[in-house]
Amino acid sequence: MFEYLAIVFSLSSLLTIAIGTVAGVAIGGMPGLTATMAVGLLVPFTYTMDPTAGLMLLGGIYCGAMYGGSIPAILLNTPGTPAAVATAIEGYPMSQQGRAGLALKVSVTASYVGGTFSTLILLLFAPLLARQALAFGPAETFLLALMGLAGIISIADENSSLIKALIAGLLGMIIAVIGTDDMSGSLRYTMGMIELIDGIDFMPALIGLFSMIQMLELAGMRQKSIDTSALDKTQKSEPMPRGIAKHIALGSGTGTVIGILPGEGATIAAFISYNFSKRISKMKELFGKGNPEGIAAAEAGNNGCVGGSLVPTLTLGIPGNSVAAALMGAFIIHGMIPGPDLFTEYANRTYPFILSLFVANGVFLIVGLTFAPYLARIALIPPAIMVPVVSAFAVLGSYALNNAVFDVYLMIGFALFGLILKKLGYSLEALILGLILGPIAEGGFTQGMIIGKGSPWIFFESNIAKVMWVIIALLLVPPLISYLKMVRQNAAGVRSS
Amino acid sequence: MTKRSVDRIVLAIIILMAVLLYGSAANFTGIARTTSAKYVRFLAVFIGVLSSGQLAYSLLRDRSLDKLIVTTHWPRFIGLLVALVIFAMVFETLGFFIPAAIFIPVVAVLLGFRNYLAIGLTTLGVLAFVYIVFIQILSVNLPGFNF
Amino acid sequence: MLKRTFLAGAIMSLGLAVGAVAAEYPTQSITIIVPSKAGGSTDRTARMFTEIAEKNYDGFEFVINNIPGSGGQKGFEAIARAKPDGYTIGLVFTPQLVAHIVSGRAGYTLDSFHVMGNTAQDPAIVVVPKDSAIMNMQDLADAAKADALTVAVNGIGSDDFLAAKSFESKAGVEFNLLPTKGSTEQKAAILGGHVDAAFMNLSQMIKQHAAGDARIIALLTEERDSHLPDMPTAQEQGFDVFMRATRGFVAPAGIDPAIQEQLDTMLAEVMASDEFKDNAMTGSIFLLPMSGPEYLAYLEGLQAETQAVYDQAPW
Repeated sequence: MFEYLAIVFSLSSLLTIAIGTVAGVAIGGMPGLTATMAVGLLVPFTYTMDPTAGLMLLGGIYCGAMYGGSIPAILLNTPGTPAAVATAIEGYPMSQQGRAGLALKVSVTASYVGGTFSTLILLLFAPLLARQALAFGPAETFLLALMGLAGIISIADENSSLIKALIAGLLGMIIAVIGTDDMSGSLRYTMGMIELIDGIDFMPALIGLFSMIQMLELAGMRQKSIDTSALDKTQKSEPMPRGIAKHIALGSGTGTVIGILPGEGATIAAFISYNFSKRISKMKELFGKGNPEGIAAAEAGNNGCVGGSLVPTLTLGIPGNSVAAALMGAFIIHGMIPGPDLFTEYANRTYPFILSLFVANGVFLIVGLTFAPYLARIALIPPAIMVPVVSAFAVLGSYALNNAVFDVYLMIGFALFGLILKKLGYSLEALILGLILGPIAEGGFTQGMIIGKGSPWIFFESNIAKVMWVIIALLLVPPLISYLKMVRQNAAGVRSS
Repeated sequence: MTKRSVDRIVLAIIILMAVLLYGSAANFTGIARTTSAKYVRFLAVFIGVLSSGQLAYSLLRDRSLDKLIVTTHWPRFIGLLVALVIFAMVFETLGFFIPAAIFIPVVAVLLGFRNYLAIGLTTLGVLAFVYIVFIQILSVNLPGFNF
Repeated sequence: MLKRTFLAGAIMSLGLAVGAVAAEYPTQSITIIVPSKAGGSTDRTARMFTEIAEKNYDGFEFVINNIPGSGGQKGFEAIARAKPDGYTIGLVFTPQLVAHIVSGRAGYTLDSFHVMGNTAQDPAIVVVPKDSAIMNMQDLADAAKADALTVAVNGIGSDDFLAAKSFESKAGVEFNLLPTKGSTEQKAAILGGHVDAAFMNLSQMIKQHAAGDARIIALLTEERDSHLPDMPTAQEQGFDVFMRATRGFVAPAGIDPAIQEQLDTMLAEVMASDEFKDNAMTGSIFLLPMSGPEYLAYLEGLQAETQAVYDQAPW
């Protein structure tokens, strides 16, 4: 193990990891630039590098990007990655209250703990856990998507429009139905457009629904610039809130477990962690209005996915998410086919790579804590100059995902359509959650039905499934009861007045 | 228009869409008939019922007459939107750099920013950043002139 | 100031374009369209080629343009539509290339391309979970007759799907087919024992087979494979089912024959070089060099076979 540590702690390795991580933070922070894209594009570039250094660079990007997404989410309400949407729900209100500095500090600390914990699990238990994860079939994947979708209820129950949040979520799932039917190969609702054969990518939707709407709203404000008096207080440094450790721990554990399972892990992990944290919080009423506990859980959750997603990737060659899939390409290009060989024949590359993830987490912690007060000033940039810059990145980012101008129009369309829905009280967070989780739910459901030969019993059969149903019930029932109580009280209030 | 009436129109459109969606599931072929079709029908029924409920509630109970305020400054709002669409339209032929070099200053001035030095520096900064990250490091293929 | 710089740049690039007509080929970089994501096996095949071609041929520079999506269809169409000036070529992969034509979705035909040659292949295989009772193809046919087996294929119209359909008709059985999104889901389903069997490609499962995590029961090629010499083919086991994925180079039809000749020769020479073979070995890419005419004949034959399957059971 010491020889591996020596490889990681050489000057050139540390420099490589630091460059990768800082670049990752920047990539995650740009609307439209994703870790998947960056890793995918850089895999060929590492072809000519020393394999270990190449992997360290990509690992740094992965860790950094997962954290980087939270910075614009907190400061500008423009999540750079879908996994940071939950962070924006709590982070942006905090920013508006002049507490951006604290929000950034919580986010980077939680990301660090989540990332480090999951890497530790990867280092110690990877082969064992990967075997367990295999028991997780399509039926369980469907239930996992349901657990993520249960988050819609927790987004909604404070602003009373539960039905509208559900409608928005279903709308997202219906939009996700457009494209090829995986079961029959036939095209659904594509209206003869080749651009729609693969369905609607959630990234243009994410950019349109959050970044672009925010820019349109800023542009369309009457006053010359937004009120920055509250923001000026940003410089005041606040201590970490008491009791936040519990939420960070919850997010780290949840994120790591969900990361190990197949599927678009980080988004689900962030929302489920956020939902859990809201259930156990003593300050439930503050959720949605700027509660650092929500940020802590969501960020620990999505960074927890990094180590988690590499567990099945390295041991079995089954990537836990799209970034891990791109990263797997980098292993294969150097002849390191995932499987037991990675831990024996190529141990001198694999272990330094895993250890480098600890360093990467440390790098973004230092960078994040050092720069948090300066980053917080981004919120003070006049909207008149912020709007064109973010808009230009939104256009570029939408295009670059698939090299398609169609996606740029899609982004603009989502912004307009979403703005109206938002003004009418529909939750856009619910819509994007539906759009991302819809295909996962559909894939799990349809495949489960085939494996079960047409019987829905398969969704209740395994022990994992039973446990998951209990968790789903726990997530759904208490908020529904409190919602019904509130409706009844309101009705009584209306009658008595 | 009032918020209430726009909401009702949106709900009516969603209900219509739900009905069409439900009907379309009958055209699914092969194995999709017992799998995907069930999923799509479930979505259609669920959203149809919820939207109908919400619409009924709105018709019976909603007495508010709040106006739907999309923006308080239409010229700037529409201006940004038009600029975006033009940006998208010329992207395929002119690429990113030339349109962005025009888009950023124009929109900044449109939104009332008058510090021309800051606009110039910001524009240059963005172009340089994109050039370095996209063209030099990631070697993404952007259309048009990439210098 | 800024505008002037851009203007100067624009004029310069115009000047280059005019010069291109006069000067010798190539005067600018050649774009290779890769109809899949960066980092995948098709992408790696292209990059292996460019690395060696750039090193060995002065003046040749390549740019890779990834156009993923729709099972390669978007990328294939982009190659077919590209200006035949010798500055755009691309990769295609089968059987998707012909499957799109057969299913009537493609905006191209084989005539839209000049076929330069095949580079790589990946044999189709049949694989079962490690503790399955199915040991060979006869067991698979028998088990499928007794009870509908759940068999994972990578999407409708893929090589796996066509192979499974072909086996169904040869063995007179019907599978409970499970279409997945990508080979990763297939792999997870086999390793986790969620399905009874899967039709996949050799490179995806060879390590798992060696480690004992899954069992390959047959290769679906005409001859055995050097990477797994003890594995019998399906034909040896009495089932004439053949399928392999191939990845080759094409150019849009209509390129100046002299330029095309230069490109074709370069491809053949690069593929023959030892360095290319070594890199392919490390990157787990199985080579199967075919000349342009050979590959064209292969593609035409494959299109006819695929048409037959499609006519029986369209998707």
